[in-house]
Amino acid sequence: MPIVLTVDDSRAVRTIVSKAVKDLGFEVAEAEDGVQGLEKLTECQYDLVILDVTMPNLDGPGMLGKMRGAGNMTPVIMLTSESKRSIIAGAMKSGITDYILKPFKPEELRNKILTVLQGGGGNEDVVTSSMPGGAPAAGVPENAPSSREASAKQFVDVMVVDDMENVHKRLRGMLPNHLTMNGFTSAQSALASARERVYRVILVDTDIPDVNSAVLAQQIKVLQPHAAFIALALRTNSADQAKELKDQGFGDIVYKPFTQDHIDDFLVQYFDNQDFLTNEDNILKVSAFVGKPERLDRYFGRLAQLFPSVLNKVASACYEEVVVDLAKAPTQGDRLPKLLVSLVSQSKEMGMAMSVVGTPEIQKLLASFEETRGIKYFGTLQEARAAVA
Amino acid sequence: MSSEKLAHELQAILVKRIQSDQLVVPTIPAMVAAAQEVLRETDGAAVKRAVEILERDPFLAARALRGGAKGVGGQKKPTIAEAVNRLGPRGVKALLVEATAQKVFVSRDAEIANALRQIWEHSVAVGVLARDVLALSGHADSDAAYLAGLLHDVGKPVVASILLEAERQTTELYNRSWIGAPEWVEVVARTHRAVGSALAEKWQLPESIQKCLQENLDYDNSDRTSLVNAVCFANALAKKTGVYVGKFDPEDVDAIVMIGRSLIGVNDEVLKTLTKGLKDRVSGMFD
Repeated sequence: MPIVLTVDDSRAVRTIVSKAVKDLGFEVAEAEDGVQGLEKLTECQYDLVILDVTMPNLDGPGMLGKMRGAGNMTPVIMLTSESKRSIIAGAMKSGITDYILKPFKPEELRNKILTVLQGGGGNEDVVTSSMPGGAPAAGVPENAPSSREASAKQFVDVMVVDDMENVHKRLRGMLPNHLTMNGFTSAQSALASARERVYRVILVDTDIPDVNSAVLAQQIKVLQPHAAFIALALRTNSADQAKELKDQGFGDIVYKPFTQDHIDDFLVQYFDNQDFLTNEDNILKVSAFVGKPERLDRYFGRLAQLFPSVLNKVASACYEEVVVDLAKAPTQGDRLPKLLVSLVSQSKEMGMAMSVVGTPEIQKLLASFEETRGIKYFGTLQEARAAVA
Repeated sequence: MSSEKLAHELQAILVKRIQSDQLVVPTIPAMVAAAQEVLRETDGAAVKRAVEILERDPFLAARALRGGAKGVGGQKKPTIAEAVNRLGPRGVKALLVEATAQKVFVSRDAEIANALRQIWEHSVAVGVLARDVLALSGHADSDAAYLAGLLHDVGKPVVASILLEAERQTTELYNRSWIGAPEWVEVVARTHRAVGSALAEKWQLPESIQKCLQENLDYDNSDRTSLVNAVCFANALAKKTGVYVGKFDPEDVDAIVMIGRSLIGVNDEVLKTLTKGLKDRVSGMFD
């Protein structure tokens, strides 16, 4: 188990540091000045020294110099109220690993201890060189939060930043209930939330008084590298409006005032993949249609878009047969048979046979069209599974 | 003439000009073109675009601030958007007209021209970083930090402009050779702090910004999220990222970054992302 030595003339600081170290599951020893600190170092091999600067008898830089002079290269974190750069630069020459300014937050101390003891020494340069690539962009893997960090955060589907609260209300009313949404009227509150939560889609109003929306979007992007960024904009006369907004880092635009149709389009693009069509092994389940009848064409259009990649996935897993579960699919009109004809043809091209699971109504529907009459039908998924096996 | 002597004489001339209100500062090519474009437009978005222009030029920003501050007391941390609101569309237009009427910053010497470009880019980079560092650490007034960062080296382009004028006279009128780029950079480095401070005082820039122009810029422990701390940290980051012209002590810069991370409270992930691609983000703003 790693052992940490805290050297500080303040008993209160030593107590706080010791508690933090113990809470992390490490052992800790204390010394109240540099002389005692050096003695401790001769008695035991420590993994980390947390060192104050100003102390009686022998100060931090003095102890550090003697340590290094004796060949002791134990990592050192300076924990001090000293912020004079000449002193810290001197300590850096003696090889301090990190620095914490008093008063400090417990999480800063914990993070820096963990970085040294678990993260390979903490000597990496945290300032990136000037690589091409422009402003921080969404989806940059190296900026992804660590799993520990992500699991501690709460996931939220939508963030909307707009100074008009009515926009939040209107959008909330148009989103399905299962999607979570947080609305913010100020840049400050949006940034604060971006530090605490993980968002999937972020909509930013392009005209917030006294706020540069492009800059705000970039700042949020630093904290939410995986979110999709959408501009909430009033349509202007500029022919280049869309291009300008994309240049500012927005991936898409929702124009105000938005209607349910606009929001449905937005939902299809960012949230519908898992709802329309799901697959488990070689079984593809088509979700129920929810919405106004006039949206049915869009529903089938979306299914037609999603099927090729899912069929491809099943074929890649070397299945000879694919089962499409249509138990919840709407049967009005000829949209379903048309979709099935296309699916049979696609499956065939990929070397797979296709069968369908559904209600008797589906069976009737399949029988009533020449092109779908030949599709294998099962009343339940269990029957289909048994037949395929 | 040695760089030291030239710097000394130049500083005296400049401070005298500033104090007697005789300083005329040129503007940069990109600003002239952009300002002319905005002046041709009439829609409401033009004012917004004007703010974007002012945000890229320390002189225009300082002028906007000065004009916008008239009649407003106190030492509230300023922003360009606030100054523009106070100036109104006519005031902003007047400012842009004035900028386009000035002579343009150019040097015949490619190295000097490049150094001048880098001075500009460094100021913008410090502004961007100071603003983002404060915003991402959860502090208010991050826009004021942008302005403070943009203006922290305002003395440099002033010195540069006079050196360019001297270059023009020496080479065009007297057909003599001019100093090389290394001496040029050295003279700017030696004189800019004193000139910037004189300018800030004359222009009555807010005290919070004047602090960012001082010699040996260092952290202020009493207010962790002050503008001076944001600018000091951003200045070191920009240097470390390579957006800087001139010499600096890398160990000193490392110390400033290490202190700033804890003082302001910036985690390493955020820091990496902030500095990524910084050079690209500020390049091309000059010409």
